[in-house]
Amino acid sequence: MNVFALDWYLIALIMFIGFYCMLASRSIVRQLVGLEIVSKAAMLALISAGALTNNLVYAQAILITMIVIEVVVVATGLALLVKNFRLHGAADIWNLDSLKG
Amino acid sequence: MDKGLLAYLLIPLFTAVLIPFIARNRPRLADIFANVTLLAGLVNLLWLALRPSVIAGGFADIPGDALSLLLVAAVYLVGLCVTFFSAYFMEEGLPNRQAYYSLILTSIAAMTGVVTTGDFFTLYVFIEVLAVTSFALITTDDSAGGIEGAIKYFFLTFPASALIMVGIAIFMISLGSLSFDSLRVYMSSDMPDGPVVFASALIMLGFLIKSGVVPFHAWTPDAYQGSYAPVSAHLAGIVTKISGVYAVVKLATLLRFFDGRAQALSELVMFLGLLSIAVGAIAALRQTSFKRMLAFSSISQVGYIVLAAGLGTPLAIMGAVFHLINHATFKTTLFLNSASLEKAAGTTDMDKLGGMEHAMPWTSWTSVIALLSTAGVPPLSGFWSKLLIILALWESGLKTYAVLALLFSIVTLAYFMIMQRKVFFGRKSPAAERSSEVSAPLLAPAVLMCGVIVALGLLFPYFYQYVKVVAERIIL
Amino acid sequence: MIYHTLLFVLTAVFALWAVMARKLLTSAIMLALVSITVSLIFFDFGAPWAGVFELSVCAGLITVLFIGAVSLIRDHDEKRPENRSRFHALPLAAAIFAIAAWFYLPAFFEELAGWARVGNGGGTIGLALWEMRRPDLLGQVLMLAAGVFMIKSIFPRRTQK
Repeated sequence: MNVFALDWYLIALIMFIGFYCMLASRSIVRQLVGLEIVSKAAMLALISAGALTNNLVYAQAILITMIVIEVVVVATGLALLVKNFRLHGAADIWNLDSLKG
Repeated sequence: MDKGLLAYLLIPLFTAVLIPFIARNRPRLADIFANVTLLAGLVNLLWLALRPSVIAGGFADIPGDALSLLLVAAVYLVGLCVTFFSAYFMEEGLPNRQAYYSLILTSIAAMTGVVTTGDFFTLYVFIEVLAVTSFALITTDDSAGGIEGAIKYFFLTFPASALIMVGIAIFMISLGSLSFDSLRVYMSSDMPDGPVVFASALIMLGFLIKSGVVPFHAWTPDAYQGSYAPVSAHLAGIVTKISGVYAVVKLATLLRFFDGRAQALSELVMFLGLLSIAVGAIAALRQTSFKRMLAFSSISQVGYIVLAAGLGTPLAIMGAVFHLINHATFKTTLFLNSASLEKAAGTTDMDKLGGMEHAMPWTSWTSVIALLSTAGVPPLSGFWSKLLIILALWESGLKTYAVLALLFSIVTLAYFMIMQRKVFFGRKSPAAERSSEVSAPLLAPAVLMCGVIVALGLLFPYFYQYVKVVAERIIL
Repeated sequence: MIYHTLLFVLTAVFALWAVMARKLLTSAIMLALVSITVSLIFFDFGAPWAGVFELSVCAGLITVLFIGAVSLIRDHDEKRPENRSRFHALPLAAAIFAIAAWFYLPAFFEELAGWARVGNGGGTIGLALWEMRRPDLLGQVLMLAAGVFMIKSIFPRRTQK
């Protein structure tokens, strides 16, 4: 087995852990943790693809943009969490059920 | 990146940055700046596309692939309607007024970026910007429903982004580049498709989740129902269409679904499209909240676009693009009318409303026009786009799909008739006694959109010519 | 090779730990460790710029944001802990996934590697960003503007009340 296949196998495992966390948890913070893990796995996939195709410079250029995006996305998630907590005093997803249909 | 349209991205961004400084002490200036920017952009676009010489030349002089120009115009039109409506709808003294207009302008800049880019990663970047602005816009009025909708939207769109990123990584391996053109060239050559189609399937799946097609539609009704009233028009009319459906249509043309490459993926997309037509229409039949019913109707209409994109023949792509534009016009009208109802009667619960026609005749009749267009009644514009889609299905021998699409178009008419009877016609309810028509500026956007619906329907030959140019350029 | 694979395994272990941790604070710290191992992987691949960004932004800034938010809601979370049985099932689920995937995924990825188109790999990072990815820079500017307006909109300064 070559290094690339082993890397991507482990990346798939990390992504599985992240998605499992997002499915299993009700706490918004833990969902964000799962989201972070999933996006870390996507980043690793990208850099590994860059290394495989001898395109590391290009992959880094993409990764830097991705990291900037990730910060703003996580900040948005945490801002929504804090606002929800301030207004309703809850940090669970399933407590949110004012909308039904 | 289409350089000719770059200004339509930069100018709203510039205004968005300027607004917090200029309008710090005079909040009304924020309204004026946002509206003037969008109006100027729209006038400029109309000048580009509708000069007599351009029309006489069969739209051959349109720069770029013509689709970007059309969609940028749609973005600006909906954006202008929403900002104009908000200027009169918003309560005085709302603390985040300036930020609201900045966010709307940023989201318009991001949508312009989405429709003008020629690269998968740039597309992804702009779509994330669009998502971030949407969450903040949904929660503008601090309501419980707004935050709930935003959080549900958040946790369903970002896993989709991870799928898109993995797809992009596989593109880097197997395609060696991320530009649309390289995928187009690859798919039109004889090279075996292999991982390229697999990566495209991952990206397609991500965008299907983002556009709220049926197995992934959990967030759509909540986000639309819970969001701040004018924002729901912005979101349903244009944002989710640009951030999801546009990419699906684009990817369908790049993958050349019409010549049988990626057959399995094409069939899957068509099936999901039909499924969301059916589920959306049936779920809309039994809603009691006006906004929620509109949201399910939106899922159903997105199904038509996705169905046509999955088919991928030139006629189907024309239908998909036309329906995308129509969807923007009629959904914006209906959601803005629901916001007017909310303001006048204080509720959008259909059981509590009734006989609103006597109190709000203009709102009632603009809704009638919009819903007839949605249901595909001639000669309104919605009729032509559905006709194109159903004809394309029939032509490619998919008769079952064509018949089912036609059938659910009648269901659309049915649930809208039920809605219209419950809300606007019939006996006067206590809510109708209390309320009166909203002011003229709040009606103006809906009337403008109705004008567009009727004009597109009656001037269909010209528009058909335009859409034909689009289909020729993006498919070849 | 061993160092390289060890880093990936460590990332997976920290990710597992972050999900399993009872306290949210531990979760946040484990997430920082995930970021640090990811940035070490970037360095190991020979991608120092991405590594530096990852280390300073993800391991630094995001962790600070996380810990801030967690400390705000910690009391609430400790009063009403969520049902943990699903998290105890995670190692089992991950193990089943790992064993089942072992038979298929490496072969699949090896085949995928066979499709690789090797690029020229020249240039510097700055040139690559400026020459090839210029629209992304515009996207970054737009993203930062969106972030600022988002914070302004969600937490407005209430002057008159």
